[in-house]
Amino acid sequence: MILGYIDPGQGMLIWQAIVSAFVGVLFYLKKTRDFIIGLVLIVFRRKKSSPAAPAVSNAAPQKVSSVPVEAEVEAR
Amino acid sequence: MAIAAPSFRDPAGFCFALHDRIFRFVATPSQPDLEAFLATATAKKFVTEGKLVSSRRLAEDEVATLRSDPEVADIFSRPDGIFLEHEKIFFPAYPYEWPAEMLWAAGKLTLEIARAALSEGYGLKDATPANILFRGSEPVFVDVLSFERRDLHDPIWKPYAQFVRTFLLPLLAVRRWKLSPADIFLTRRDGIEPEEIYRWCGPVEKFGPRMLSMVSIPTWLSRKAAPDDEKIYQPRRVKDPAQARFILESLFGRLARHLDALRPAAMQSAWSDYMGTHTYDQPAFAEKEKFVREALTEFKPGRVLDAGANTGHFSRLAAGTGAEVVAMDLDAACVGSIWRGAREKGLKILPIVMNLARPSPALGWHNRESASFLDRSSEKFDAVLMLALIHHLLVTDRIPLDEILRLAAELTRGLLVIEFIEPRDEMFRRLTRGRGELHASLDATAFETACRKYFDVVRSLALPGTARRIYCCKRKV
Repeated sequence: MILGYIDPGQGMLIWQAIVSAFVGVLFYLKKTRDFIIGLVLIVFRRKKSSPAAPAVSNAAPQKVSSVPVEAEVEAR
Repeated sequence: MAIAAPSFRDPAGFCFALHDRIFRFVATPSQPDLEAFLATATAKKFVTEGKLVSSRRLAEDEVATLRSDPEVADIFSRPDGIFLEHEKIFFPAYPYEWPAEMLWAAGKLTLEIARAALSEGYGLKDATPANILFRGSEPVFVDVLSFERRDLHDPIWKPYAQFVRTFLLPLLAVRRWKLSPADIFLTRRDGIEPEEIYRWCGPVEKFGPRMLSMVSIPTWLSRKAAPDDEKIYQPRRVKDPAQARFILESLFGRLARHLDALRPAAMQSAWSDYMGTHTYDQPAFAEKEKFVREALTEFKPGRVLDAGANTGHFSRLAAGTGAEVVAMDLDAACVGSIWRGAREKGLKILPIVMNLARPSPALGWHNRESASFLDRSSEKFDAVLMLALIHHLLVTDRIPLDEILRLAAELTRGLLVIEFIEPRDEMFRRLTRGRGELHASLDATAFETACRKYFDVVRSLALPGTARRIYCCKRKV
């Protein structure tokens, strides 16, 4: 039973329960929406952060390895 | 005067007044929750902001002293618990003395506190205007025992119906049927049932959006349900506490929107434009204002009752000198405007809707739940202002002059500033409506003779161009 000393009403309590059930469903819809949005954002960010080979690169030239090519080949 | 147990409904404890101090007994099972709540950041913030009454747990020796008082002997026959002492609000005014604006402000504070408590894992177990008193024009939540630890899975706010009955539906009745909070709360402790409002509505009105959710649907559901169906009252729990909280936050949001939509608008009445329509010319009014200001400056009353405050001009004057003011008037529109002005300017004015000729009675069980106006105000004020009032009491209410002065002497501990209006005055004659002979013997000499029974006249001033004289009197010891 609902413990408490105040009159919880009858019609108003039923109405509150009905609206609560409806809002409860909204909670899961919102959760699902948030999950999908989160998923999309993760995928989008991953795509954005993955290194794509630029056609014309303005980036600084890569540091040239100080190890001689022959030594590198030997090591492999 | 001790009030042994005025609040007996809550099994968790009760509040009582003793020797001008306010105490609360808290039964042992409720003690941990209450103390934990009062220690939360939310509770401390509300206390600091003056929105929640401050509380102090009594030490053992203080409880022993309290226990030795014969007036509260019966309290100690109850189960174990602790005692708190609360800050005393100078003048408790009850919902039936509030204008609609104050009921609205009390509802706002209730919702604000309920929402904030939710974030701390607490809930309000009741939501009624009886939990609120006003410190000046600002509402203060005084029932600290209303807070209880929530079942985090419970999406139902138990006091929802009480909030609707005691805040929303009365405000709806004020707006739609021009009722006053007094019309509702003098006879109904717990507000209006939706079924009652439903009966007042026309067939089309029952389908209005606000009426549907607050009145019609609950009424239809109540009719459809079996009167003794216990299943309705079974607890409803949801799996996810976040879902329960989401539901409650959504509920509070809806209630806040309903409350905002029912915010009382400034009303017009026969008296609300008094400052523009009164019968004084500018020099007479300036003289009157100067006289009152000088009296207040000279005697520096800390607490002032402005009886017949009208639009509150002299209440603001008194508050401006640093006094705490209770501004009383019969006209709800005037009192509402006093409240709005006082709140806007941060003045210590508590406006109440009341007719001094029919002061609020003691109410509730054994007439002990709410004290009468006279019990609350007798000798509580350092000064009483009765400006442009006595002709209403003499003529409209047929109160004898001696009775009026005797009441003034009961209310004030010191100063009385009273305006005497001769029967030839235009306003006096408007009220007599052909019964002028009843007051034929009333003149300034008769007034002063009557006054000297209870007061020493310090000085008086005839207001130029009027049939009025203003008196500054000190109560005889």
